Amino acid sequence: MLLCLGVNHRTTPIELRERLAFAESMLPEAAQQIKTLPGFEESVVISTCNRVEIYGAHRNEKSEDSFNLLQAHLAEHFALEPAQREALTSYHLSERDAARHLFRVVSGLDSMVLGETEIFGQVKAAYDSALKAGATGRDLNKLFQRAFSVGKLVRNQTTIQRGSTSVGSVAVELAEKIFGHLRDSRVLLIGAGEMSRACAQSLLSRGAKSIFISNRSHDRAVELAKEMNGEALHFDDWEKAVHDVDIVISSTSAPHFVVTPDLIEPVMNRRRGHPLFIIDIAVPRDVDPAVNDIGDVYLYDVDSLQAIADEGRRERERALAKCEEIIEEQLRKFGYTEHSPPSPLVLTHLPPQPLNLEP
Amino acid sequence: MDIPRLLIVFSTLAFLGGVAHAMVALRAGKWQESRWHLLPMAVGFVFQSAFLYLRGQQHGRCPLTNLFEAFIFIGWCIVLLYFLVGATYRLSLLGVFTAPMVALLQITSLLSSIDQAAPAPRQKINPWLEFHAAVALIAYAAFALACITGVMFLLQDRLLKKHRINALFHQLPPIHDLSKAIVRMVFVGVVLLSLAMTASFRINKPITSGKMLVAWIVLALYIVIALLMWRRSLSARQTAWLAVLGFTIPILSMWIVTAKL
Repeated sequence: MLLCLGVNHRTTPIELRERLAFAESMLPEAAQQIKTLPGFEESVVISTCNRVEIYGAHRNEKSEDSFNLLQAHLAEHFALEPAQREALTSYHLSERDAARHLFRVVSGLDSMVLGETEIFGQVKAAYDSALKAGATGRDLNKLFQRAFSVGKLVRNQTTIQRGSTSVGSVAVELAEKIFGHLRDSRVLLIGAGEMSRACAQSLLSRGAKSIFISNRSHDRAVELAKEMNGEALHFDDWEKAVHDVDIVISSTSAPHFVVTPDLIEPVMNRRRGHPLFIIDIAVPRDVDPAVNDIGDVYLYDVDSLQAIADEGRRERERALAKCEEIIEEQLRKFGYTEHSPPSPLVLTHLPPQPLNLEP
Repeated sequence: MDIPRLLIVFSTLAFLGGVAHAMVALRAGKWQESRWHLLPMAVGFVFQSAFLYLRGQQHGRCPLTNLFEAFIFIGWCIVLLYFLVGATYRLSLLGVFTAPMVALLQITSLLSSIDQAAPAPRQKINPWLEFHAAVALIAYAAFALACITGVMFLLQDRLLKKHRINALFHQLPPIHDLSKAIVRMVFVGVVLLSLAMTASFRINKPITSGKMLVAWIVLALYIVIALLMWRRSLSARQTAWLAVLGFTIPILSMWIVTAKL
């Protein structure tokens, strides 16, 4: 029988989740240890920043016994203190519900950011390590292989992963739609606000070539440049740098427009058709909206980025019903033919007394 | 309707089918890159090829005896270039934009009375004339693809400027890539047309001076466009407009040049 015991970002606070997290290198050993619990035949352990889940195939008569064994094993493995034991609640899913849950997890439907795709790779890596450790067998191999097919199907047949859902990811998506890739892109940060920094980090994480930082407080610019492996510019020099960059992120606290058509027009004449992407994070705005009328300049302020992120989230939510349909159909094809609608996760506490795990 | 023309009807229907499917999918936000999108293009191409083969057999030469055949040949070259441009382009929306252009070209050709009776088969084929005509039309196809890519650029530019992040935006290629593709297509066209015009010096049979003048004007205009693009004197948007509007020159010139090939 299949089972899944887990904690995730919705059920368990981070303080306890980080206590229960398995290091990546420990995943094969953890899966093998669980396999040796009484009645257990197979096991896969998934441990990410948002979830710790154990999938198992067992032959105990009562699933409840297997869940108790697993929970007690976790408490013992992580040497939880009494207060932590008391606070630990987990969800217990069997058979169809366990399979459905895995299909949803792999498809990104159970993630903090709906439709995110990173979880697919994380589950695949966890499964591969359990497979190599010999902790899986016929049932879990079949389940996980099907889960990966379902994940691909959901991604290909719906728009669940389309669009971006945060200001940073919208900035990256727009930059990629302008420049194709970011490996030749240079970023200029005017002002060092938290949001502009996050935007710049997103661009750098997607391969942006270099970053220049200019701030009224030069010390702050130097500090940030050091942190982001960039180059600090004196605030008086940023205008000269505009010609050499592809993306400008502005977030000064100036009460007037800092970037104007008079500044950008001559720059664009010298850029010979190379586009310029300007992100205005500041409120009040730093960039005159008329700059957007200049050819090859694409200007986005914080409201427009936020609106795109909101629309991205709405689009993913609209796609959710179709994803659930696909998953239900795949569950039927997997052999769970009886109709059983998805039920909300029921959280279970640890038993008050530690169980005797000796066989 | 004779069999060759019927083949063009089938070919047009295949292209229109592909367009209709893509439009419905795009409107519903369900468009996805897939090799299946190649199918209507491939079917249309097969029918075009069959038409050209039958007409070639009938004339005993390259089937470019009237404006109808010339347009079908350009359409065939556009689809051929579309297949040759590369996997990335092929699977992107380029096909969706290529198919309506070819369909429009073929519908216009079918509805107008430009499919005039061919002259009697020549006793002796002039290979330089055949080469000149065929390569010139392939060059026109490259200009057509530059025009299609220009339309895609202008659409994506507008979506980016107006902050309209919709299904079409997600499917259109990055604006910088489109800009480079336009320039590449225009350069390919200029090289091919230059080859075709160079070959015209080897044609023994004199070509009327009017035709030659028009052909040289087209080449000269596209050389100017290519130079402007090469020197990057224009913004990317102006370059795209140039590629789109520039294509009216070869289309208009076709009536004159193909008056009697």
